[in-house]
Amino acid sequence: MPHLEKIEYKPISVRELFLEIKNLSELMIDLAYSAALFNDKELAEDVLELENRVDTLTYLLEMEIMIAARDPDDAEALVGVSKVASAADKISDAAADIAAIVTQNIGVHPIVSEVFEKVEERLTRAKVNESSILVDKQIGELDLAARMGVDIIAICRNKDWIINPKDIEPIKIEDVLIARGAPSGVKEFKALVEGKLRKLED
Amino acid sequence: MSPKLQKKFEEIVERFVELKDTSELMMDLAYSSLLLNSKELAEDVQELEEHVDKLHTDFELLVLSSGFKREEAKSFLGLIRLGVVTEKIADAAAEIAEVVLRGIKPHPVLKLAIEEAEETVTYVQVTENSMFVDKTLREVHIPEETGMWVLAIRRRGKYIRPKPHTKIESGDVLIASGYAEGEEDLKKLASP
Repeated sequence: MPHLEKIEYKPISVRELFLEIKNLSELMIDLAYSAALFNDKELAEDVLELENRVDTLTYLLEMEIMIAARDPDDAEALVGVSKVASAADKISDAAADIAAIVTQNIGVHPIVSEVFEKVEERLTRAKVNESSILVDKQIGELDLAARMGVDIIAICRNKDWIINPKDIEPIKIEDVLIARGAPSGVKEFKALVEGKLRKLED
Repeated sequence: MSPKLQKKFEEIVERFVELKDTSELMMDLAYSSLLLNSKELAEDVQELEEHVDKLHTDFELLVLSSGFKREEAKSFLGLIRLGVVTEKIADAAAEIAEVVLRGIKPHPVLKLAIEEAEETVTYVQVTENSMFVDKTLREVHIPEETGMWVLAIRRRGKYIRPKPHTKIESGDVLIASGYAEGEEDLKKLASP
């Protein structure tokens, strides 16, 4: 049984809460698929933790919505926000279900991961080679999103996962990076990480 | 492993990736329907939901008929569960689209948040002087140039689902998804 955080009202704007719920739910889906397909327990546990966080945020959002509705017009306008947030919460639940496949030792057939890496175009996992030009660069200075439509969503370093790393996080030799984005960019990114491509194009 | 079994695995994974991609496309389209308050896009999401149900059944049948051994049962259960999850995601996307179909005008906060999110959906109009005009999607390499991919094209009041050979016309509105950083590049190319 995971520890459930006590929910206390906090004044956070509906916009901020919804934004975080949406971002986290999408991040969790990609992390969860990675955890299942590469059978990574630590990463799966991190997804379960994020699920808790999204639950808490959804409670807080519902509270904000209740306070904000003063008349029938408000209620009509806000029920949509509540519905969409609960759908995003369901998406995060779905991610947790994927993670549970790993934490409950069910797993996915190893051959599946092998084939998956060949056909999946939007999600990749790559180990930083010592010859990679990304070594010792900070994520922010690489401008990956602008350059190739790619985002690093997690780094595994010394067996610990850094989820949604910040711009100032440096990339180190032997890091395992999980990235998602546009198919062509994802391919280019993998080649850069593995040192097969030695130039960062604009 | 026998070549026959290997082939079966490849087929299972391909089907799974199709399920996964469709459920994710539905999420993007559902948020787009909110952003544009578009019943048409929302209806597309609902239709895709039915399509996913069918894909999901085919996927489950394929997994169950793969003739796995007793000791492999667990990892095949894992596959079945992955399939169930894609269906859940598709359902959630359909719920988002339902808000639009119910005639609830999306709250400005939703619009703001979708535009500000890390992965955003955006729309740009193609002007006459754009390099996109009269070229196919395959020719213009939008994902390579901008990191964004086109989810739908609005043309003369109708929505078209893009294929690689779809030709872009002046006046088209491209609805695209990707990281916010690519938005400006796309705008520059579509309406210079």
